[in-house]
Amino acid sequence: MDLAAQLPLLLGLAWLTPLASFVAILFFGPRMGPHGRNAAWVATAAIVTSLVLSLAAFVVWLGVHPVQAVAHGEHGVVHAAADAHAGDGGHASGSHDADGHLAADHGHGDPHQPAAYSGNWYTLYRGGRLELSIGYYIDALTVLMFVVVTFIATCIHVYASGYMHDELHEVTDHEVRLADGHHLHRPGRFPRFFQALSLFCFSMMGIVIAGNLAMVFIFWELVGICSWFLIGFYYERKSASTAANKAFIVNRVGDFGMLIGLMALWGALGTLSFADSTTVGPDGNEQVRPGLFSQFRPSEAGHVLQVPDGMVAAAAAAEVATISADHASSPADAASQIAARIPDWRGMGMGRWLLFIAGVGIFCGCVGKSAQFPLFVWLPDAMEGPTPVSALVHSATMVAAGVYLVGRFYPVLSPDVLLVIAYVGAITLFIAATIALVANDIKRVLAYSTVSQLGYMMLALGVGGWVAGLFHLVTHAFFKSLLFLCSGSVIHACHTNDMRKMGGLAKVMPWTAFTMLVGCLAIIGAGVPFVIGLSGYYSKDSILAQALSFANANPGHRVLSWAVAGGAFLTAFYMFRLWFMTFAGQPRDHHVHEHAHESPNVMVTPLVVLAVLAVVAGWTLPGGLGIANLLEQARPAGTAAGLEGGFVFGQSLLFPAEHESHEGAVHITATLTAFGTAMAGVLLAALLYLWKLISPDLIASIFRPIYAFLAGRWYFDELYDLVFVKPTLGVANLASGVDRGLIDRLIDGIAWAARGLAGIDAWIDRTLVDGLVNATANATWNAGLKLRGLQTGRLRQYVMFIVLGTVALFVLAAAAFRSAGTG
Amino acid sequence: MTPADALSQPALWPLTAIVFLPALVAAVLSLPIIPKAREEAIRWIALATTAVVFVLSLWMAWPGLFGARGPAQFTVGEPGMQLVVSRPWIPSFNIEYLLGVDGISMPLVVLTTFLSMLACAASWPITKHIKAYHVLFLLLETGMLGVFVSLDFFLFYVFWEVMLLPMYFLIGIWGGPRREYAAIKFFLYTLLGSVLMLIAILMLYFTSDLRMLSPEQLVASHAAVDAAAARQITEATEPVHTFNLLALAELGQLKNSPFAAASIRGVSLEVWAFLLLLIGFVIKVPVVPVHTWLPDAHVEAPTPISMILAGVLLKLGGYGILRICYPICPGGGLALAWLVCGLGVVSMVYGAFAALAQKDFKRMVAYSSVSHMGYVMLGLGVWSAVGANGFDPDYWAQGVNGAMFQMLAHGFSSAGMFFMVGVLYDRVHHRNLEEFGGIFNRMPVYASLAVAVFFAGLGLPGLCGFIGEVLVTLSAWNYSRWLAVISAFTVILTAAYILWAIQRVYLGAEYKGPDGDHLTPMTGRELAIATPLVFLAILFGVAPQLLFNYVTPTVNRQVETLAAWTREVHPDFPGQPALAPAASAASTAPARALAED
Repeated sequence: MDLAAQLPLLLGLAWLTPLASFVAILFFGPRMGPHGRNAAWVATAAIVTSLVLSLAAFVVWLGVHPVQAVAHGEHGVVHAAADAHAGDGGHASGSHDADGHLAADHGHGDPHQPAAYSGNWYTLYRGGRLELSIGYYIDALTVLMFVVVTFIATCIHVYASGYMHDELHEVTDHEVRLADGHHLHRPGRFPRFFQALSLFCFSMMGIVIAGNLAMVFIFWELVGICSWFLIGFYYERKSASTAANKAFIVNRVGDFGMLIGLMALWGALGTLSFADSTTVGPDGNEQVRPGLFSQFRPSEAGHVLQVPDGMVAAAAAAEVATISADHASSPADAASQIAARIPDWRGMGMGRWLLFIAGVGIFCGCVGKSAQFPLFVWLPDAMEGPTPVSALVHSATMVAAGVYLVGRFYPVLSPDVLLVIAYVGAITLFIAATIALVANDIKRVLAYSTVSQLGYMMLALGVGGWVAGLFHLVTHAFFKSLLFLCSGSVIHACHTNDMRKMGGLAKVMPWTAFTMLVGCLAIIGAGVPFVIGLSGYYSKDSILAQALSFANANPGHRVLSWAVAGGAFLTAFYMFRLWFMTFAGQPRDHHVHEHAHESPNVMVTPLVVLAVLAVVAGWTLPGGLGIANLLEQARPAGTAAGLEGGFVFGQSLLFPAEHESHEGAVHITATLTAFGTAMAGVLLAALLYLWKLISPDLIASIFRPIYAFLAGRWYFDELYDLVFVKPTLGVANLASGVDRGLIDRLIDGIAWAARGLAGIDAWIDRTLVDGLVNATANATWNAGLKLRGLQTGRLRQYVMFIVLGTVALFVLAAAAFRSAGTG
Repeated sequence: MTPADALSQPALWPLTAIVFLPALVAAVLSLPIIPKAREEAIRWIALATTAVVFVLSLWMAWPGLFGARGPAQFTVGEPGMQLVVSRPWIPSFNIEYLLGVDGISMPLVVLTTFLSMLACAASWPITKHIKAYHVLFLLLETGMLGVFVSLDFFLFYVFWEVMLLPMYFLIGIWGGPRREYAAIKFFLYTLLGSVLMLIAILMLYFTSDLRMLSPEQLVASHAAVDAAAARQITEATEPVHTFNLLALAELGQLKNSPFAAASIRGVSLEVWAFLLLLIGFVIKVPVVPVHTWLPDAHVEAPTPISMILAGVLLKLGGYGILRICYPICPGGGLALAWLVCGLGVVSMVYGAFAALAQKDFKRMVAYSSVSHMGYVMLGLGVWSAVGANGFDPDYWAQGVNGAMFQMLAHGFSSAGMFFMVGVLYDRVHHRNLEEFGGIFNRMPVYASLAVAVFFAGLGLPGLCGFIGEVLVTLSAWNYSRWLAVISAFTVILTAAYILWAIQRVYLGAEYKGPDGDHLTPMTGRELAIATPLVFLAILFGVAPQLLFNYVTPTVNRQVETLAAWTREVHPDFPGQPALAPAASAASTAPARALAED
């Protein structure tokens, strides 16, 4: 069996196993052992199976596509990658020899193409040449993401089986007070939690393996609804169900933009598939249908981004219409005429706006899912969910899906879109970091930290750092899930989220304290400059280097590199503020401290495992095996070289090639800046919270307005409530009011008028007609008596209506008939 | 009837049985054979009838379901009209008893029989005038099925009216407190539509002339049984009028269509007819602004009648537009495409906004129907086979397929939603959204099924609501970018009103309304109704091709025919007005140096 058959099988099974677990727990969960205890085993077994299958796929992948060996230097990771692209065709790395089924290189054998396997499993809709299907697109990034997602999910499943043990018996929810003044007592929901977790894993892997954007959208929505279930797990709490709704609705705002992007692509190109596909046409011959990647970056154009033919033609609709009308009798002629004109139209700049709309539209979806400005407001509220959920869904995987999609969709993004992404990332990372400075809820600090780190990744992708952004996505997944699980361990021990009640916990929970310290060091990118460091050291350095490199090439956008450096300082400060407030010093609340204890082994073990990975994930093994090198294998065709140009903003941008940022001055500056800012942040945190040389309260009172602004989270929630929620409800009430007040009034009015008319008619009958009759009767009373005896007013009324109606119908029909005859 | 007829028209008795069996049983029930007091017996007889009709229609639609394929069974994948039954009825006006099914009507027939069966089972809580209720209910079923299978316009109209009266009484007698107001409103709105439809029918009838068709067309459209009869028609001296829908469609799509040639006040007759028929049908759909009968009718109607109303009756409007308006008056459809699409988008957004504001659970669900049926209108109307895209009909076909799927999916999800509301109402006798809460903990099985059904309405992938919505939305872009963007906007509102309702009703710590002790778990009968609906919502969400196998061939052929008609008759049709500004904006965008330049 060759790779093209093995990979979809392995990863497909890895993807579907959690679905099986979901179905099993859905139907049999409560019957799985006492209180559904064994549901945890079912879910964990499923995700372990997925992990094993993913690892198998990983090994199989490496067997055929070995990672490029390290060339030289202290930063082997990055230099190796750079070298691979510096030399022409150096990227080949023996990848294309074994396999004839490479989907990405139908007939071309182009050495610049990344190794990728694609195909369709299942068709949802097919009409003409349009097809929506469930398929796969597997490259090194897919395989890597599978391993990361299943690995972290496994740790979290194990951890959650300890963390959620309260749900195994009757639960008293102290946050819910019933109408009678008592706290809520409810049965535990242990199986339900694992059921949702399994469905989430299935959905998340669906995004990763997706072969087309429609499938991404499908699973995008499904992870959204899983997130809704998990945030609202304690659905008796108003705050939890509101947070769940907020998360889903805010995400839908992003999806609105994503739908526009999908429409722009679908309407112009008729495909959403990433890779080319082969179908058997009506004539029995094989036809290659180009996917998005090869339409935007055709191999004959050297994989340089261009507006695809379909978009050019869509923009030139008026010209196309003229040609089509002139050749209405022969569509083939019209098609060839149009095809001949397309290069001209492209040269005139047609379709660039469509390209921009498509890119920004898809990015809007990522803004929602990855909690970027201006849609980041849902993520901190999502911390209402149980902590394992925060670790898995709201830090390591689902929120990273937006970054993943930007990375996957990267070949299609024009320079203008990349600039938008970079600025959105920069704004996000700055705003979120400032709010994290003053937050006192341990999970919220981590939530804002997540938002900020996602901003880092977006910024990295936006300035051309494809590997840097996705590298940070992977390292962040490890250390942020670690940090969340540590915070969960603390909350489990203290029964509070408030850091002001903690302090001195290092003595009672040493494992948690130590592993969390590792996580903090990893996230600030600690390391010995130019020698070795924790995982964050490598990924953050490469982001800063790329930002600097971009700033050097585009001096007008220097602020982006300042955002990265400033963000590094803020990150170091708030992370160590968190650690010092929680673990160092003296206990602030003795009641909390007395009850605190180290968590059980089932929870500590995942912490240790993740801590080890938070340290080593950035390293490159002697053979060259490392995440950055692996990512280089998946680098989209044509993105190794720099990108230059502007499409719609009227400003020419230069995106330097990523390998340039790893050379000489830029690299040294980046490393030293990152190190310096991080150390400064830690030092400041130590001054305030460890050695207490400066009082934080004093600073807060000096900068009271700023402090209040940050503590109020920049008042985004209030602003959105005022600008969006209230007007929406206002319009809703208006619509409902128009129905009752206007349309129904009108209808009722017409009915009233009709009844009135009938009344007048009856009155005329009674007084005028009957009066006349009466008068006649009086005159000729014999005849009159007969008339009165025979007829009542009402009967006459009906007869009149019938006659009038018939006449009207005949007139209408006759008119129609006559006009038909004359016309 | 002779044996020869039975051979040439194998579907005569099966189709007739499907349509008239409910009416026959209704007639028998109305005789004083079964005493009024035998309420259980009456209920079971009605349920058995609907079940038999369902099985019969399923047998017809699903060849091979019960053994070998019979001649009176549907051929899946065949685009044309099948199982045609043709008997003279009123020969002096060329009115025929003409029935048939194709990929558009067959799934709708099965949907109708299925929902009628479930709604009949949902009628157990009805306690007033059981006999009269079931007689009217069965008559209603005959009316609905008749509309879907009629191919003669006069017959269609008769069934259309047959449907109206039972509905009026079912709302007006068995409804809630304001039932009379709601029933009269429903009746007047629908009657207005019927009158306009009647005018259009007469217009088309008197303008039609079968002599314009070739003998082949006459035979193909079942206007003549064989070539000899066709020659008799073509050689007639007087115009030969017809009510035959297939023949009318052939006439309407002629290059020298009589409907296009005739004009009233400077506007061609096909546009007038399209408009009049459209008004008649959109009242049924319903679209804003002729939708206000729907919330009242739903709120007052008993649960099973709401299920039928939302699940089937609303589909009649969409079916009529697809079956009658477009094929017979393509010129009207092309000229008024913006009206159809615009009404659809306005309904989507307006309905969603109005749903957001409702305090009554059932009223909210009713407005969600207005919003969801807006997708149907938009999908039917996206006439994008124009010069601007080389007369490519693929996107339009996608829109129409999406609209058909949306109709079927909405049949299951909306019937389910109304049933779920009814389950609660039967227990606590109120529908105030502010006075629920905590139902999840009180009735976990019910709440899980209900949430699944509401998620289908939300358009969640994996459930039936998603496919139709996404196909329609994606198809709209090539018709009009602005309408497409507005329609995409609806996804936010839909999420808002459905999730908010779920939060207020099912989530929360405790029930806040009266009669909390009546919140008992679902009964077996209720489960038997809810479970199939949820199952089908999931099945068609995961395997939409089960429906597309029926729908797509017919829809695609109709769309391709009309696209060819556009190319032939309106080759200079450039595209929709809304397309032009966007296109010109793109072309005037400053041409800047591209990387590859």
